[in-house]
Amino acid sequence: MAGAASAAAAAGVTDMADKDVKIGAALAAATCSLLGTAAPGVSVAADAEPQWDIESAFLYYGESDDRVKDLSLSAHATRDFGDERTLGLDLSVDSLTGASPSGAIATDGVQTFTSPSGRKTYSTPAGEIPLDESFLDTRFALNGSWSQPLARLYRVSAGLGFSSEYDYQHIGANFGLTRDFNQRNTTLSAALAYGQDTVKPVGGLPLPLTQMGDAVDDAMSPANRGDSNDTKDVLDVLLGVTQVLGRHTVLRVNLSYSDSSGYLTDPYKLLSVVDPVTGDLIGRTPATGASGPTGVYLYESRPDSRRKEGLYAEMRHDFSGKVLQVGYRYSTDDWEVDSHTLESRLRLPFGSSSYLEPHVRYYQQTAASFYRYSLANVTPLPDFASADARLSEMDALTFGLKYGHVTAGGNEWNARLEFYRQTAKAPNDVLIGNQIGNTQMPDFDAVILQFGYHFKL
Amino acid sequence: MRKVILLAVVCVSLEGCANLGVEPWEREVLAREDMQLDANALDTAFDDHIYFSKEGTSGGRGFGGGGCGCN
Amino acid sequence: MGGPCEVLAEVADETEARKITDAVAACAWRVENKFSRYRADNIVARINAAAGSSVEVDSETADLLDFAALVHRLSDGLFDITSGVLRKAWTFDGGRRLPAQSEIDALLPFVGWSKVHWLRPMITLPPGMQIDFGGIGKEYAVDQAIQLVAQMSSAALLVNFGGDLAVTRSRDGNRAWRVGIEGIDAAVQRAAMLVDLTAGALSTSGDTYRYVESEGRRLSHILDPRTGWPVSGAPRSVTVAAPTCTNAGMLTTLAMLRGPKAEAFLESEGVRHWVQRST
Repeated sequence: MAGAASAAAAAGVTDMADKDVKIGAALAAATCSLLGTAAPGVSVAADAEPQWDIESAFLYYGESDDRVKDLSLSAHATRDFGDERTLGLDLSVDSLTGASPSGAIATDGVQTFTSPSGRKTYSTPAGEIPLDESFLDTRFALNGSWSQPLARLYRVSAGLGFSSEYDYQHIGANFGLTRDFNQRNTTLSAALAYGQDTVKPVGGLPLPLTQMGDAVDDAMSPANRGDSNDTKDVLDVLLGVTQVLGRHTVLRVNLSYSDSSGYLTDPYKLLSVVDPVTGDLIGRTPATGASGPTGVYLYESRPDSRRKEGLYAEMRHDFSGKVLQVGYRYSTDDWEVDSHTLESRLRLPFGSSSYLEPHVRYYQQTAASFYRYSLANVTPLPDFASADARLSEMDALTFGLKYGHVTAGGNEWNARLEFYRQTAKAPNDVLIGNQIGNTQMPDFDAVILQFGYHFKL
Repeated sequence: MRKVILLAVVCVSLEGCANLGVEPWEREVLAREDMQLDANALDTAFDDHIYFSKEGTSGGRGFGGGGCGCN
Repeated sequence: MGGPCEVLAEVADETEARKITDAVAACAWRVENKFSRYRADNIVARINAAAGSSVEVDSETADLLDFAALVHRLSDGLFDITSGVLRKAWTFDGGRRLPAQSEIDALLPFVGWSKVHWLRPMITLPPGMQIDFGGIGKEYAVDQAIQLVAQMSSAALLVNFGGDLAVTRSRDGNRAWRVGIEGIDAAVQRAAMLVDLTAGALSTSGDTYRYVESEGRRLSHILDPRTGWPVSGAPRSVTVAAPTCTNAGMLTTLAMLRGPKAEAFLESEGVRHWVQRST
C-alpha cells in the first residue's frame, strides 16, 4: 500500500518540480528585506580548496669580472590527493655562461693554454687570474616525489631525480620514513638517497697530474686524455629530529652522512707548476709549428672517494607574527674540508598582506688536504692535488632582502635581491718563494636577483 | 666524527624532555605557512645549487635536487 | 540550534574576543528562545496554542512570517513552515519503521501554508495546525549574529551555528577561512571537502544522522509537504554558498526538496554548491 501511494505521490511531485523557474534573485531580495540589509551585490566568495600549489621563479645570478652568469627558470608544484597524500614535481632549466678560474695562478706575463677540446688555445693577459674558456651550457633538471601516510603515525616518501647538461648527467632516487611521537610534537626521520652521475667532458677525461699538451688538429685525440667518460656514485643518509619547543617555536636537527666514490676530479681544472725556490711559473715552448701552453700546467687529481659527515640545526620562532629563522650547519670530511655555515632570515609582515625578509649567511671552510696554490717542480708528485679555489680556505658572506605581497586572490608575488662575496685565502704555508705577499686568489662578488610567483590552482 | 656526534647529542638533549611540546589545539601559530621548516623551499633550492657549485660543502638540509658537473 | 555554536575571531585582545563571544552567544540564545518550538513561553508557542484564534505578532516575527510566505510562493509550496505536524508520523532515528499511509492521510489536512490566515500583524492558524521556524531559525540567527559583530569589530570573524556559517571578511593577509564540509560517511572523521571562504555564508543540509531506511534505501528527513513523504532521490548532503546564511539555507533546503534535480536547480540558480550523493 505504502509503496503504491508513494509512487503516485512521487509522480505528482515530479510534475511540479519540473518548473525550473529561477528564484535566486527574488530569494536574495527577500532575505535582504528580512535582514534589513541593503542589496549586497555579489558578496560571496567560496571556492573548493585548490589542489595544485605552484611556486615558480626566475633567477639571475651574475659574478663580478665577467665570470659566471646564470639564468634559471624553476617551478615547484605540489598536488594534494587528499588523505595527506602528496605529489611533488620540480622542473628547472638553467642557462650558464661565462668562465671560472681554472686553478692556474696569475703571473707577470701573458699565459697561453690549450682548450678543453684540445684543438685550440686561449690566452690570459699578464697579471690576471686565468679563467677557463668561456662556455655556454644549458641544464635541465626534473624531480618527482611522492609522500603518504603509512600507518597512523608513520609517513613514507620516495623520489626520483634526473638532470642533464651536455657534459654531465645525474640520476638519483631517495626514500624516507618519518614517525611522530609525543602528540606529534616530536618527529623522527630517516632518509636515504643514492645517485649516479656520469661525466663526459669535452675532449675526454684528462689523465691525472699529466701535463697539458699542445693543441692538435681534428684527426688526432688531445694529449694525455684517457677515457671519454666516467661515473661517480653518491650515497647519502640523513637522520633527523623535528621538535616543537612551544607554541611559537620549532626546532629541527639533522645528522647526515655522505659517501661519494668514483670520478670526483674536475676535468677542466689545472695546477701551475712553479720553481720550488722562486715560486715562478716554469716556462714551456710549444713544439715547432704547433701552438700550445707557454707554461707547465698539470691536470688536477682528486681522490676517488669522499666521506662527509654533517650536523644541521634550524629553528623557527614566531614573535607577534614575525618569524625568525636561524640555521647552523657543520660539515667535516676525509678531504679535511671542514665548514661552518650560519644563516638567518627574519620575516617581517607589514601592511595587511606584504612582508620584507632580510637574510644573512656566513660561510667558512678549511682547505682540502690536497689543496695547493701551485705545485712545486719536484718529484715525486703528490698523489692528489688541486688548485680549485672551491677547495681552498675561504669564507663567504651573503646579504639579501626579499619582498613579498599576497594578492586578494591569495597568491603571492615576491622578489629577492642578494649580494654574495667570497674570499679565498692561501696561507703562507702553501705559498712558495715570490708568491708570498704576491698572491691573487680568485675572489668574487655575485648578485642574485629572483622574481617569483606562488599560486594555487 | 666524534665532534659531530657530540654536537648532535647536545642539540638533541636540549629537546630531550618528553613533555616538551604543545597540545593539539595550541598549534595555530605552528600551522602557519611561514612557520613551516620547508617554507622558502624554492629559495633554498636555488641557493643550495649556487653554493654547491661555488663552495666546498653541500647538503645537510634534506634531499631533492640533482647533481651538476660542478663540485 | 541543534549543534555546537562557535565564533572564530582574529583578534589579539582577549577582552575584545570575550565581548564578541558574549554578543554572539546572547544573539543565539535570543533567537533560540524566541523561535524554538520546544518552548512553552514564546511567540511560537502562543501561535500554536491559539486553537483558531488570532495572535498579534511583533515586527521581527512578522518579518519571518512574510519571508516564509514568500519562499512558500517562490518554491510552489515545497517550502512550508506548517509541515512540522508530519513529525508525528515520522521518527528519523535510523530505524526501519515506516508509517502507514493512513497515518499520513490523517495529518495532511493540517499541513499547508495556504490554510493559514496571515495579514500583518495578525496570524490565525486553523485548529490542529502548527508553525515551526526550524527551517529558517538557525540561518537567521547566524545572519543576525554576523550583522551584530560586524558593527562591534573590524576583525575577521566567522560565526558557525552547527554547520551554518558566515564570515565578515577574509582573514588577515588575504587568507581565506578554510571550512570543512562533513562527509556523508559518518564513520569518517575527516571533512569530505575543504572550501576556502572569503566573503558571505555557507549552509549545509544533510542526512548523515537523521534518516530512516526503507527496502535498503536511506530516506532523507526532508519531507515533501504536499505528499507527507520524504523526498525521493534527495542528495545525502547539499552545501550552498550565498551572500547571507538565510539565503544559503533556503537554497539548500529547496535543493534537497528537488530530489534528483537538486544539482540542476542549483546550477540554474548560479550559486556555488557542493552536493554529495550515495554512490
